Amino acid sequence: MSPHITITTGIAFVLLGCVFLLLVVVPLLPTYDPYTQDLASSLLLPFERLDDGRLSVFGTDKLGRDVLSRMALAGWVSLFIGLSAVAVSMVIGTVLGLAAGYFRGWVETAIMALADLQLSIPRVLLLIAVSALLGSTVVKLALLLGLTSWVVYGRVARALALSLREREFVLSAVTQGATPAWNIRKHLLPNVLPQVVIVGSFDLGQIIILEASLSYLGLGVQPPLPSWGLMISEGQSYLELNPWLSVIPGMALFMLVAGVQFLTQSITAEGAEERELAVKPLS
Amino acid sequence: MISFLLRRLLQSVLTVLGVLTATFFLVRLSGDPTTLLLPVEATPEDVANFRAAFGLDQSWLVQYVKFLASVLEGDFGTSLRQRTSALGLVLERLPATMELALTAFILGLVLAFLIGLATRMSNSARLRSAVMWIALARQAIPVFWFGLLLILLFSVTLRWLPSLGRGTWAHLVLPAVTLATYEIALYLRLFHSSLAAEERQDYVRTAYAKGQSRSKIIIRHMLPNALLPLITIAGMNLGLLLGGTVVTETVFSWPGVGRLIVQSVSQRDYPVIIAGVFVVCLIFVVINLVVDMLYAWLDPRVRLS
Repeated sequence: MSPHITITTGIAFVLLGCVFLLLVVVPLLPTYDPYTQDLASSLLLPFERLDDGRLSVFGTDKLGRDVLSRMALAGWVSLFIGLSAVAVSMVIGTVLGLAAGYFRGWVETAIMALADLQLSIPRVLLLIAVSALLGSTVVKLALLLGLTSWVVYGRVARALALSLREREFVLSAVTQGATPAWNIRKHLLPNVLPQVVIVGSFDLGQIIILEASLSYLGLGVQPPLPSWGLMISEGQSYLELNPWLSVIPGMALFMLVAGVQFLTQSITAEGAEERELAVKPLS
Repeated sequence: MISFLLRRLLQSVLTVLGVLTATFFLVRLSGDPTTLLLPVEATPEDVANFRAAFGLDQSWLVQYVKFLASVLEGDFGTSLRQRTSALGLVLERLPATMELALTAFILGLVLAFLIGLATRMSNSARLRSAVMWIALARQAIPVFWFGLLLILLFSVTLRWLPSLGRGTWAHLVLPAVTLATYEIALYLRLFHSSLAAEERQDYVRTAYAKGQSRSKIIIRHMLPNALLPLITIAGMNLGLLLGGTVVTETVFSWPGVGRLIVQSVSQRDYPVIIAGVFVVCLIFVVINLVVDMLYAWLDPRVRLS
């Protein structure tokens, strides 16, 4: 393993380790309390003391709620939405893509037309319109993000299916009377899955950012449930007074997304290509 | 070339129609604006009058056909809040959005081109991977938080630049830089990998064998080929940029179409939402069409397939 890869992986583990501490250890602390309001000690800076002398590690928000606890809960919300959305879009995209690539003909035309239509609307705009119109609970958000993100999986699955359907093992199964559903499940799906999972790990970060953007605009996670995007937006009014209210959630967001991206980067082919490129040309 | 052009044009028209249909039905799915727009003490008679005035009392199908017919005339109805033409409100905000998007687009493209070319010319693998790391890290930062950090540094702390609104060129700096840096990160990674792919081609090895200098090979031989994918992605991305401006406009209170749509959504001002989404999508479709034309003109393989 070259040093380049080790450094990337190392950074990824440090970033994800911090997020892990926040998400798993903080809820176990005796001071964990994301909801109780205390207007007497609102907008405390990090490491200031509450009235009763307790230390407030990340400070408090405008309603006096503990930022550290809210950060931890918000992290679970983001992670839950992100992972479910990726799962939803992965299933939809793989099924549609495989169907398009295996059946060809009008099925392919219809599915690809749907993909083109969806790509013709900027995703943020589509999400803003749809989430505002249909409301946004956590489950709805996860579904919505999933339903609008399937195209990339669909394309990958279709491209692979197009070549797989011509392979001998698929053709021989067809001559022996295999149904399309059986063939897709037994022969196409296992060959497509590794690629699709890689695409999914790249997309996870972008989905989490999208969720945060929607919540920032007030169209995502609704209060009193915390979300990193929502916390950044609430903190924006107090930039002069207590900038940490916006800075801290953003840092957590960055650590999670960058951690996932660096990790994927170091595992997948792009990392391998990078090593190959380091070989100098002939000059 | 003519048949390719016609096919592509037809596809664009169908897309716009699909967008209109989807928007219309999604908006109708979300509920009835009468309860939001009329005061609590409104009589049933007031409600009926209001619904008749805005055509809300007819069936969905009638409303849909009427809607398409009026869209063809450029009429998206009247804003439920401001009582003026919905399309007018959107078009009024369009110059602000274009100013922001185009500035960021050009700034991002030019800087990415220069940085990408310079790192390739330097032939230092360490420099190249450092640049790629920064690009990757920038992509992990949400646009709105990056904007806030810039406000915090340049407006709140240093007090060099204004943080809100539009007016002088100084107002443009922070939002444009916020958007452009995201662009740079994306283009750099793409430019980097397409240049690297060219580097491995036989013609490059032949050129080296002939004894040509590295800088000449990069600029004369590799660059024209490596620019093709960049043009496509840049074109497609101008649309994404339009989406990104929605968030950026909200961060910096920039009076553009994106902010108008977000505000209209919270006020359930249907005509303005539809007009806004339609205008942005139309721009997006036209850009994609132009990019495809440009691509077909540059690369004959596209139009012959």
